[in-house]
Amino acid sequence: MELFTPDFGLIFWMFVAFLLLFLALRKWAWPVIIKSMEDRADLIDKGVEYAQNAKEQLEGAREEARKYIAEAQKQQAEILRDAAKIKTQIIEEARNDAAREAQKVMDAAKLSIEQSRKEAELQFRNEVSKFSLEIAGKMMRKQMSSDKAQTELVDKLLDEIEKN
Amino acid sequence: MWIIMLFLCAFINRVTMNNSIRNIFFLLLTVMFCAPVASASGSDDKEGLDVKEIIFEHLGDGYGWEVPFFHEYRIPLPVIVRAQDGSWHCFSSARLTELIETEDVATGKKHHTLKPVPVKVDSGDKTYTFMLSGSEAHKNKVVELMPVPTDMEDRLILKADSVAVADNVQPDTVRLDGYEYVDGKYYTEYKPWDISISKNVLALLLAAIVVTAMMMSVVRWYRRHGMKAPRKGTAFLELIVEFVYNGVIKSTLGKKAPKYAPYLLTAFFFILTMNLLGLIVIFPGGANLTGNIAITLVLALLTFIMTNVKATKHYWKEILWPDVPIWLKCPLPIMQFIEIFGIFTKPAALCVRLFANMMGGHMIVITLILLIFIFGAFGAAAAGGVTVISIIFTIFMLALDVLVSFIQAYVFTMLSTIFIGLAQEEGHGHDEEHVEAQVSVTPAKTK
Repeated sequence: MELFTPDFGLIFWMFVAFLLLFLALRKWAWPVIIKSMEDRADLIDKGVEYAQNAKEQLEGAREEARKYIAEAQKQQAEILRDAAKIKTQIIEEARNDAAREAQKVMDAAKLSIEQSRKEAELQFRNEVSKFSLEIAGKMMRKQMSSDKAQTELVDKLLDEIEKN
Repeated sequence: MWIIMLFLCAFINRVTMNNSIRNIFFLLLTVMFCAPVASASGSDDKEGLDVKEIIFEHLGDGYGWEVPFFHEYRIPLPVIVRAQDGSWHCFSSARLTELIETEDVATGKKHHTLKPVPVKVDSGDKTYTFMLSGSEAHKNKVVELMPVPTDMEDRLILKADSVAVADNVQPDTVRLDGYEYVDGKYYTEYKPWDISISKNVLALLLAAIVVTAMMMSVVRWYRRHGMKAPRKGTAFLELIVEFVYNGVIKSTLGKKAPKYAPYLLTAFFFILTMNLLGLIVIFPGGANLTGNIAITLVLALLTFIMTNVKATKHYWKEILWPDVPIWLKCPLPIMQFIEIFGIFTKPAALCVRLFANMMGGHMIVITLILLIFIFGAFGAAAAGGVTVISIIFTIFMLALDVLVSFIQAYVFTMLSTIFIGLAQEEGHGHDEEHVEAQVSVTPAKTK
């Protein structure tokens, strides 16, 4: 049977064709293809690893950031609380100072008013005594315009002296 | 029912990689289809068709390549032969045949047939005559015609005359096997060394070019795009390379994979391309390459060489002194005989498996198509019905053959890898020197 008897020419050419194909592909194709495939696989592996690391780092960074934020918030709250305290304190102090100052001013005013009043009283008394003396002098002069009245007064005064 | 049977048979065979069932199956199929033909051609010998010859013509090689749709016209290819005196000759295959037009007197139909004619090649002062042989031994092969001695010729003429008288035919139509009768003279045949670029050889070279072009396109992609993953066709090719390399070669051979990968990958893609090209019916394809035993023989031989040439000491030790009870190997080398036999049967199985699977596929498709012509003899209705059925079956078979093309290429590569892998074993986790030392001290305890 023709089908089951290998033909010499075909065997020969098959050897030649296969050998040429094998040599050509071994030199130019397979190493390049295999190397490229493996390189790419490596690259992808590395990429995945890198991405995972990056993700982890990102996760860590986020955690850290959250921590920082929390701390900052705590500090902020503290600062705010302190500030509020200081504020009230300052206001309190200011109020006290103001009160004290006002007191001082008022005291001084009172003192000066008192002094003025005393001076005015003194002056007024002096005035009054001056006026009363003047009035008394004027009345005396008017009453003592008659001799009789003079003598009567002298008498009266003398009486008084005598009584004493 | 039929479909199921056919499919099951084909499928089971491929899965179990058992060829015997498959061979029987398609032989049965052929016999079944040949039986009605014999009767049909018996009753109508003029129009009858020789199914066997058609099948073998399609499965076999040829000196020219049939032009699509014109059976009689062939693309001429160079015939390269070495004559008996050692000289090489090259001529066009178109010169081997002559187109004969005969007109049927009754129907007025014209028939075209190709008749072998002698080719005279002048070389120096000698003339060599070549012709397509009609004898059983070298049917349709180019042979060199050698003149027979005169006394021998006289005897041949007498013999032809007696045969002519017995069969009641003209003496010059008698064929004596092993001799050619040309222009009133008898010649003996000499089968020259024949390295013609036949249809199969050209298909082979085309397949090699296709494989090279495919792989170079992948390489070119890497050159142009660097690390970027290939797209479309290139990606598909790379996928297959990756599938074979990582799935088969690397997982079996481990760190030795790069050393054997070029051979195995080349074999895989070459077989795959030849398989698929064989399924294309017209010109660039259509040659039944992997269904030709010469091709698979070479492939199996190469696997044999790759397996045994660089085999390890451990491998040879396992063959020549296997780890079995001593009586199995010492006085009578039973195990050695089996193991050495196994060295040859493994590639032989590779050769026959690929050959039988691919040839079977082609044969079934051709037979299915021929059914149309066979049933054509029974009238238009029968022919019409059979046409529909056989076209459906043919499409199914061709689709299956595409699958088989992949599977057989894969199986060949996988088994070659396994054979090479077995021949590359270094013993159990030891390095080579260590194993050697152990072998020399206690030969039976290494395993």
